[in-house]
Amino acid sequence: MPELGRAALIVCLGLALYAAAAGAFAARRRRQRLAESAENAILASFAAAAVAAIVLLVALVQNDFSLVYVADHTSRELPLGYTISAFWGGQEGSLLLWLLILTAFSTIAVLLGRRSARSLLAWTVPVLGAVIVFFSFVLVAVSSPFATQVAPPDGAGLNPSLQNPYMLAHPPMLYLGFVGLTIPFAFAMGALLARRSDELWIVLTRRWTLVAWTFLGFGQLLGAHWAYVEVGWGGYFAWDPVENAALMPWLAATAFLHSVMIQEKRGMLRIWNVLLVIGAFGLALFGTFLTRSGIISSIHSFTESSIGPWFLGFIGVVLAASTALVLSRLPLLRSKTRLESPVSREATFLYNNLLLVAFCLTILWGVLYPILTEAVRGEPITVGPPYYNFFLKAFGLPLLLLMGIGPLIAWRRASLRGLGRTFAWPAAFALVCGALLLVAGAGSSIPGLVGYTFCAFVLASITLEFARGTRARHALSSGSWGGAFASLIGRNRRRYGGYIVHASIVLLAVGVVGSSAYDTVAEKRLRPGETMAIGDYSLRYKEVRQRRGPNSQEVRALVDVSRDGKRLGTMEPGKNRYFAEQQVSNEAAIRSDRLNGEDLFLIADQIDDDGTLFLKALVKPLVNVIWIAGFVFLGGAAIALWPDAREQRRLAVRYGGRESLVRV
Amino acid sequence: MARRSSPARLVIALSVAAMLAVFLLYTSIAGGTPQLRPSQLNGRTNEVSLVGKVVAPVQRNGRTLRFHVKDVEGGSATRLPVTYTGSVPDMFKAGRDISLDGRLRNGTFVGTSGTLVTKCPSKYTAKKS
Repeated sequence: MPELGRAALIVCLGLALYAAAAGAFAARRRRQRLAESAENAILASFAAAAVAAIVLLVALVQNDFSLVYVADHTSRELPLGYTISAFWGGQEGSLLLWLLILTAFSTIAVLLGRRSARSLLAWTVPVLGAVIVFFSFVLVAVSSPFATQVAPPDGAGLNPSLQNPYMLAHPPMLYLGFVGLTIPFAFAMGALLARRSDELWIVLTRRWTLVAWTFLGFGQLLGAHWAYVEVGWGGYFAWDPVENAALMPWLAATAFLHSVMIQEKRGMLRIWNVLLVIGAFGLALFGTFLTRSGIISSIHSFTESSIGPWFLGFIGVVLAASTALVLSRLPLLRSKTRLESPVSREATFLYNNLLLVAFCLTILWGVLYPILTEAVRGEPITVGPPYYNFFLKAFGLPLLLLMGIGPLIAWRRASLRGLGRTFAWPAAFALVCGALLLVAGAGSSIPGLVGYTFCAFVLASITLEFARGTRARHALSSGSWGGAFASLIGRNRRRYGGYIVHASIVLLAVGVVGSSAYDTVAEKRLRPGETMAIGDYSLRYKEVRQRRGPNSQEVRALVDVSRDGKRLGTMEPGKNRYFAEQQVSNEAAIRSDRLNGEDLFLIADQIDDDGTLFLKALVKPLVNVIWIAGFVFLGGAAIALWPDAREQRRLAVRYGGRESLVRV
Repeated sequence: MARRSSPARLVIALSVAAMLAVFLLYTSIAGGTPQLRPSQLNGRTNEVSLVGKVVAPVQRNGRTLRFHVKDVEGGSATRLPVTYTGSVPDMFKAGRDISLDGRLRNGTFVGTSGTLVTKCPSKYTAKKS
């Protein structure tokens, strides 16, 4: 069986090489038949990658320990779900998953492109082929999942901290996001190579970017929730290099999603958009390099491995080749129009982009800082959460404000009187909210107060936009208000889906600000029977209880919780001692308040043999709003993604006519 | 001509300048923390982030840990005594690689509470520790 897997990967590499070489030749010499054959090679590479993936999956399920990968990442008693998740639990499997998704996405892009954009596909196929060549080459020659050995009696098992349901969803989602960014990149390069100056590549890849961005965003939120409930330090994001590696391409993709609207509507920012799409793809590759090369120390320490230099080389080639291409096509990328006023929709989008990119670059600077300082000064210097938190405030708060301004401000040139009319209500609402919060004591954190005032402003302006649209629609049709609301969203899915995503970002901000700027922490050494207080809560430590779990000894401190004299129940923070792995795992206890979204988070830092408990308690207001934001985010993204027949017709009219003129 | 194109350029130039100013302001106020191996410490007493391997035995006295660390790689004979009081990660034990912020006081490295981080053994390709 492993031979079949290895052979499938070699076939995949051969097909990708053919797609790249034959595709490029066909596009240059305008050979239609050869171009089709290169397209078919992409489809076939998906089949080959699928065979390799199935071989690995079968080996995992059958506990075939003669495969090094299977023996290293599973064991006999590992439940089936986690055995499957071991597919991406290690490096070789992750790369195979990457290849599988890449070839699958490429296949879908080719099949869809055949219908709508034959001419653009000609140069896109060789680019896709080249990226597939890299990944299949690494899997064939550098890091093979099909290396064999004499089978040991049992495998090493999966790290206990990975044995968690989130392991089934979080990593694949991030991969779908990372890999998804390849498609817009390939189409952008395809358009440049074909010397096209129109916006077709942007129209075609809008959904791809949106899909990749949605997966990346939701995947990160899943990871944050995983960290919050499982790792048990009371936080959900620690600015660790690996977390930053996923955040950076998401920020670049967010900037791209906004700036393409300016290019579609006004023909501006064309060079900028190409650079953003190159940047997003480069950052996705860089993220993999970062996590796999061991060059930067991270809490998520992955195995150091030999693929680092290969990735670095590939990133270098991608950046050099695409930059050279952009430079050689500069005349094609001239803007059709100019920015007319610094107070306009275009300008706000530009500010939004500058802030997002600046934030992304600051994070990159922070991640690279240890490497740079080691090269220059001989010793690595790290920057910690204070650095990132500072820039989150410096760039995040203006971004939040722009989210309320951008969608309402006029295109081209906004008059001051118009601005006053548009923003009078949202601004008044925000100021009233800010004043009320100040009275309620939110002034303890100035950035928090500013953040909440901005949140109120954005929510008010979004609500106003929905209300105006619904009223206009209701006036046109004689139907119900509900019907008018539904048809408003249905007829402008991109726009209103986008507003819903904005609302989810506001919710995210509300949760992040509440849980970080207004949290309370208390630590105390407690003997059984003693109490401690935190916020309105009173915690009474009763006793220690031990019980035997399936594969661990579970030690729990029983803590009675009451608030304002009312008993709320018993919480059980503690620790599990795993026998086989000889590892202790912290089991935090979390009590969520459904009414106000607040969490009481208890950590049993240490339980001594005599029953002394070192208890750490955190009150995190509004933290649950973050998780709600995730679902609103998904809902908004789904609305924006939903196929729109009207839009398709409009695009067919716009690009269809020209399409027949450009022959490959 | 120059007049017509000015808003876009002006906007970009001003934004970039503003961001640079913010950046410089920050880096001038707060620097980073140097990351050092035990053998590199050499009596320095400023705040550093120490990266090393825990050497047995680890003594525990209430909430305080006492142990030594050595370089993760290389043959340096340096064994640096460390004391630490505070939350201890689940994976902490002798032989593990750790990172700990703190400073040297009278020849002993005193860790800052809450900054002890363990790194996974390389057998696992772990996500969280």
